[in-house]
Amino acid sequence: MRSNWLSEIVKRAQSGPYMKEGDFDLKLTRRIKELVREKGIKYDATNLCPTDDDMADRVWDAGLQLFVEMGAYCQSTERCIKFTRDEVLEILGLEPGAVTLGTGKDAVVMRHRGVEDPQRAIMHSGPTGLPSTEKYHPLILLSCAQEPLVDCLGAGSVSTYFGEQILPGTPLEIFGARRDASVAREAVRMAGRPGMHINDVAVPLTCAGKMAACDPQAGLRPSDAFLVSQMVELKTDFDQLSRVAYLKNVDMVTVDLMTPLIGGVGGAAPGTAIVSVADHLLGAVLYDADYHMFSLTHLHYVNNTDPLGLWVESMVGQALARNSKMVALNDIYVVSGPGTKELLYECAAGAVVTTVCGFNMQGAGTTGGFFPDRVTGLEARFIAEVSRASLNLKRADAAQLVQEILPRYQATITNPNRGRPFNEVYNTETVQPTTEWLDMYYEVKEDLRRIGLKLA
Amino acid sequence: MSISEDIKTRLSDALIDGDADLAEETTVEALQAGADPVALINDVMIPALTVVGDQFQAGEVFLPELMLAGDAAQRVSKHVEAAIVAQGKTTESKGTVVIGTVMGDIHDIGKNIVVTMLKAHGFKVVDLGRNVTPSTFLTAGQENAANVIAMSSLMTTTRPMIENTINLLGEVGARDQFKVIVGGGCVTEEWASTLGADGYSPDAVGAVELCKKFSARPS
Repeated sequence: MRSNWLSEIVKRAQSGPYMKEGDFDLKLTRRIKELVREKGIKYDATNLCPTDDDMADRVWDAGLQLFVEMGAYCQSTERCIKFTRDEVLEILGLEPGAVTLGTGKDAVVMRHRGVEDPQRAIMHSGPTGLPSTEKYHPLILLSCAQEPLVDCLGAGSVSTYFGEQILPGTPLEIFGARRDASVAREAVRMAGRPGMHINDVAVPLTCAGKMAACDPQAGLRPSDAFLVSQMVELKTDFDQLSRVAYLKNVDMVTVDLMTPLIGGVGGAAPGTAIVSVADHLLGAVLYDADYHMFSLTHLHYVNNTDPLGLWVESMVGQALARNSKMVALNDIYVVSGPGTKELLYECAAGAVVTTVCGFNMQGAGTTGGFFPDRVTGLEARFIAEVSRASLNLKRADAAQLVQEILPRYQATITNPNRGRPFNEVYNTETVQPTTEWLDMYYEVKEDLRRIGLKLA
Repeated sequence: MSISEDIKTRLSDALIDGDADLAEETTVEALQAGADPVALINDVMIPALTVVGDQFQAGEVFLPELMLAGDAAQRVSKHVEAAIVAQGKTTESKGTVVIGTVMGDIHDIGKNIVVTMLKAHGFKVVDLGRNVTPSTFLTAGQENAANVIAMSSLMTTTRPMIENTINLLGEVGARDQFKVIVGGGCVTEEWASTLGADGYSPDAVGAVELCKKFSARPS
């Protein structure tokens, strides 16, 4: 990103149209409803991986139109940062379509993926969006980093520092950020993968806290990344833009984190797909993101493995794959927890659909993010395996498979099985899954083979 | 004068559909025909918005429907309240709720849903927004003589600010002036009770019920 472009964004944030935030939300939700009608975007619960290229392109067009019309809302100034269509297209034309993550033998190139793309998806894992305790955080990170099919690690967050609650903007946030960064660095080293890309340290909620996590020896390095957040929907502020300034100037990887809500301002699936494309455009234009983390969740259940979520992921993935060179990463969010078959089936549905529709993989965000220590490396291994097995699938095959997988967990979405914490499904001495958890994993894999997924 | 069934149906449908223009037009028509403005609130607005709230809770409609119904209700309220004042009466609030997302937390969708539902049920709502300091809750509560202070936190990292706010109310001797209710993604009933919060709700409908309970006048 050119420094003068960020200066221009700051200038527009101070001179763009003034609007109360509630009015922006209302205008946005009305415009999305209109665009759903104008573009004829229709959800079909019987086909969660549509093969309608034209509809994918219409979702893209609607998202682009929405972003150009609405702009990005700056919460710091209560003004809309606007861009012309030509400016947006020019920036999109400069997208390199790939980014190198990590260093040395552990470096991977994460690419823009196409629809039904045979090249493998890069796999990110870790307790992203989930709280961990100080006691088990290092083991959870190691359990993910040591998985051979995992390429990148998210450090997640621990909400205490030696038992004291970490409050944002306090010295403890700085201590916590540095501690979590060093724990993540140590985890990748202990896994024998010292150059593995670390995609964020999530405990700090301020720009200063993020910056504190950088340390060439014991923390994050330029080959690592921080997430720059959007607030739902299409909103940013100066603290987030300051992260961009820092990341670009120290040559770190910039990740655009968006968290659109199914049932939120976008409404049902078609509107959520449209606003999700617009969110990606915000990340490209304002954050100059090296890659985009799509962390879609349902407003009530906080997952993206229900039929609405899978359809939105499918359409957004295809829209991006066909019309841009953005490097897209889907964050699989599930309601279930470790030690349950439902968790694995939810992950399978998400991985099948999003691999075929052009995403790279991240997961799993378990228990809707509510229960501490409920992440293990085993589900990351499983997602990567399912993703690889999905590489040669056509969209129609994926749609059929997902219809087979859904009944295996769908009834539990409203009454989830939250599973058990890390220390009850992993041996904390060996950092290996317990026999019981492994048996479930093997049983689910065998079941998926029976319904046609060619798992190794 | 009572409200005709035709007006009731049209206004109710317009509110449920979130058609602000039609709702406003129908309200003006009703008031010109001599409809009792208080009855418009109690017999049409609140029931219609309760329908939308229940549909939202059941997952039958989503946030846009709730937002648009809330916007339509605000447009209607403007006319109804003016009519009440013109009749020399005063509007009677169900109670006053000061609400916000605690310091450090920038997530406010859930809080905004609660605000919409409370307004729909006739509460005066002082919405402090997000990233609200403990002292701001205290000051706003006292300045508005609030019945309830409602706090939300999505993240475990910001959840301690709920406790800090409750502690501050106690330290300055103001704890008994308000009922404190809490909610948000990371807040559980068990945790809320350990802090001494007066109420916890996992959703907007429950939050409204708590506010009704805590704002009720002794009969």
